[in-house]
Amino acid sequence: MKYLAKDESKCIQCGNCEEVCSKTYFKINDRAKSCIQINERDGNPEINVCDQCGECIDICPVMAISRDKLGVVRINKKICVGCFMCVGFCSKLSMRQHDEYIEPFKCISCGLCAKQCPSEAIFMAEKDDSEALELQLDKVFSK
Amino acid sequence: MDIRKLKENHKLLKEYKYELGKVDKGYANRTLYVNISNNTIKEKPVTDFMKDKFVGGKGFGMWYLWNAVTPTTRWNEPENEIVIAGGPVCGITQYAGTGKSLVCSLSPLTDIPIDSNVGGYFGPLLKFAGFDALEIQGKAEKDIIVYIDGNTGVVTIEEAPLEAIDGHVLGEQLTEMYADNEADKRNVAVVTAGTGAEHTRFGLLNFTFYDPRRKVTRLKQAGRGGIGTVFRDKKLKALIIKFSNVKGDLNNAFDQAIINKTGIKYHKEIHDLDSKQNNMRKIGTANIIEVMDAYDLLPVMNYQYGMHPDTQKIKSTVFIEKYITQGVQDGCWYGCSMACAKAADGFELKTGPYKGHKVTVDGPEYENAAGLGSNCGIFDPEGILELNFYCDTYGIDTISFGTATAFAMECYERGIINKEITCGMELNFGNFEAAVELLHQMSRGEGFGVTVGQGIHKMKKLFAEKYGADPDFLFDIGMEQKGLEYSEYMPKESLAQQGGYGLTNKGPQHDEAWLIFMDMVNNQIPTFEDKAEALHYFPMFRTWFGLYGLCKLPWNDIVPADNKYTSEPAKVPEHVQNYLDVVYGVTGKKLSVLDMIKESERVYNFQRIFNIRMGKGLRANDKIPYRSMGPVTAEEYESRKERYDKQLAEKIGYDPEDKTIEEKMAVMREYREDQYEKLTDAVYKRRGWNSNGVPTLEHLKYLGIDFPEVVEIVKDLQ
Amino acid sequence: MIKLNNRDFPWEEGMTVESVMRAKSFTYSRIIVKVNGQHVDQEDYSNTAINDGDEVQMIHLLAGG
Repeated sequence: MKYLAKDESKCIQCGNCEEVCSKTYFKINDRAKSCIQINERDGNPEINVCDQCGECIDICPVMAISRDKLGVVRINKKICVGCFMCVGFCSKLSMRQHDEYIEPFKCISCGLCAKQCPSEAIFMAEKDDSEALELQLDKVFSK
Repeated sequence: MDIRKLKENHKLLKEYKYELGKVDKGYANRTLYVNISNNTIKEKPVTDFMKDKFVGGKGFGMWYLWNAVTPTTRWNEPENEIVIAGGPVCGITQYAGTGKSLVCSLSPLTDIPIDSNVGGYFGPLLKFAGFDALEIQGKAEKDIIVYIDGNTGVVTIEEAPLEAIDGHVLGEQLTEMYADNEADKRNVAVVTAGTGAEHTRFGLLNFTFYDPRRKVTRLKQAGRGGIGTVFRDKKLKALIIKFSNVKGDLNNAFDQAIINKTGIKYHKEIHDLDSKQNNMRKIGTANIIEVMDAYDLLPVMNYQYGMHPDTQKIKSTVFIEKYITQGVQDGCWYGCSMACAKAADGFELKTGPYKGHKVTVDGPEYENAAGLGSNCGIFDPEGILELNFYCDTYGIDTISFGTATAFAMECYERGIINKEITCGMELNFGNFEAAVELLHQMSRGEGFGVTVGQGIHKMKKLFAEKYGADPDFLFDIGMEQKGLEYSEYMPKESLAQQGGYGLTNKGPQHDEAWLIFMDMVNNQIPTFEDKAEALHYFPMFRTWFGLYGLCKLPWNDIVPADNKYTSEPAKVPEHVQNYLDVVYGVTGKKLSVLDMIKESERVYNFQRIFNIRMGKGLRANDKIPYRSMGPVTAEEYESRKERYDKQLAEKIGYDPEDKTIEEKMAVMREYREDQYEKLTDAVYKRRGWNSNGVPTLEHLKYLGIDFPEVVEIVKDLQ
Repeated sequence: MIKLNNRDFPWEEGMTVESVMRAKSFTYSRIIVKVNGQHVDQEDYSNTAINDGDEVQMIHLLAGG
């Protein structure tokens, strides 16, 4: 599955990634509207972004969250009912929400930010499908 | 059966078109009134008076019902109504437990108003379709359905002769019929009863929601008080609502951001702490089966005992490991992260008309496991699931069924009734086959099942008058009050909980106060005044959920990590604040805790006076059977001899040495009955009532509900 | 003798929070434990000694259902 990988030690906290993300998806430079967020912890940079683990998929009451063909976890905003349970249940705190919108948003591994990163702290990578955390419903209900 | 054929046989009796509306700060500001005697459909405005005095939900239900009936109206008369209302918070999706409907009607069991709280999607979709409440009055001649199309603004009354009556089949049929496709099914919500509701007095209503993962129509129950019986008596087969495009902001909240923030904080709390606390997401309310047993509080064999060695066979982990599907989102409304609506999938039925079918059983909830299981001496998880399933689909309240069956079983074991009376059934404790056959009889309307289905109140009368049983003994062991069967907790050793059951509006149901641990184990409310304060605060606090369309469980079935450091952990102060914040977010109304209690007090006192108006609601009606207060029989005394002897010596100053059990029981009884009377005095006083349980005029004035028609009822009882 | 939830409870040599809970079958998952007003966390139940005369509170946070 395709995901945005990171090497926090290389991050220089320039904020380019946040800018490109929020501009691309919300047409505004506002880090509160960026799927990737650069924070600082104990004086070191911390890159918070979805790793496409998929644990949110089972939380959604209307199955608005699913994994696409490339393995990317995506939200279907048309059917999302805005409950934000996925936000509260993301163990990595990488599901985003902003009060101007009634649906959450998240990284979809588009890679635009990686292209803008001057220090190669973020980059596109692949990981094995076995790392997906969501239930296989056909197996759950075949017992 | 072919869905098209079912639909082709519908006969349109009435069509009504209405303007779609927009919800404003939690209110649709309209009620839909449907009279099925003369097929009248109209809209009524929801007034500021109603909002100020009754808020919504159960408050609206009580107000409409009050205006619909007279003191002589009984449950099966056309004037009686079924009112379904959510409440101003109902339908938000960001906080857990915000999709509840409150259903009110005159009860076939109690002849006074009953209110029952239920999940499923009907309430929220009703509001988005344009209505804060649905008021149904009248009686149809043939089986009908009422359909509300909230997408196009059309309401129809249709004869529906061919559809099934049992809830799990009818729910599926109508969901299929009114949904455009698989994805549309979650936009359809159905209310049904079942065949058992036709032949008993404790029929319930099933409220559906479609589960897109299981691909089945799930059922939640408005269980208490026989509203399903009223529903079928009106020849209502189903209510259906359709509304597509549910979003998270349809309440047009005063400040959505506050709701989002509070909801996400709560979701995180559940995510982090549920598995360390109550495991609600794994097993729901059934997590306490073994807890109740460990503390001697699980009703066993008609509340004789509080524990049993076989409880380990039905403990929650058995259900988690073997039956209940894990890890699947189980909320009964969007955004419920507590997700306690558990289900056993692929469960193969062993008896009855659906024998061999593999079904999804909604449950077991704690009440079902205790009522259908331990209280009937049935310590068999598959037996409990089977009874649970059939109760739901037949439209029978698991609590009343469990408690009434337990009573009949004790009567059988004591020889009060025999095989001749039970039509050949060996109704011993633990006999699953007999219990499930009673249920099937209730569905078919035959045999001893119909007798049990009349409820304990009627059974007591019948056994005494027809079979010569001792009425006093039946009064002692028949666990009902005001006509309603007790829910499944053993209040014997907790005076406060005796009040929690006995000093209620609708009858002994634990939704008003559940104080067993605070009282008996924690010893936090030792004096009568302490108990009275708890029996004021908690019933009022809990009533409040029903005014707003909320579920009570998210309040205290999880607590914040630092709750224990607060001054009153039992109240879960942070969660109370969450609710005040959410109400502010939705309505713009800033409430304090005192305001909150006062809102409830209005409706609570109004309901009390409604009871008085219907001929109950006085002190005499708050008496409780002695089985709920202490040991009725020598066996019960023996089972807790050490505890009882100690109490005689220490609390009553009566030396139990060399006394017979009968002597000791008599002294104990006198003491406990006196304690209950003293408690009653203290609680009435705290609630602003006189010693006969009548709200004082001064209190009604303070609450602002001293309307002339209310004062009229109580002025001569001052 | 100790006070357990304001009631007398016999004290024994070597008593700990854990041993009292076992003796009382206090098995519920949400119990607030205080010894002489001091909170005791779950991981410390086995190593928190209870002395003769202590005031112990074991408050079950169970008011739902």
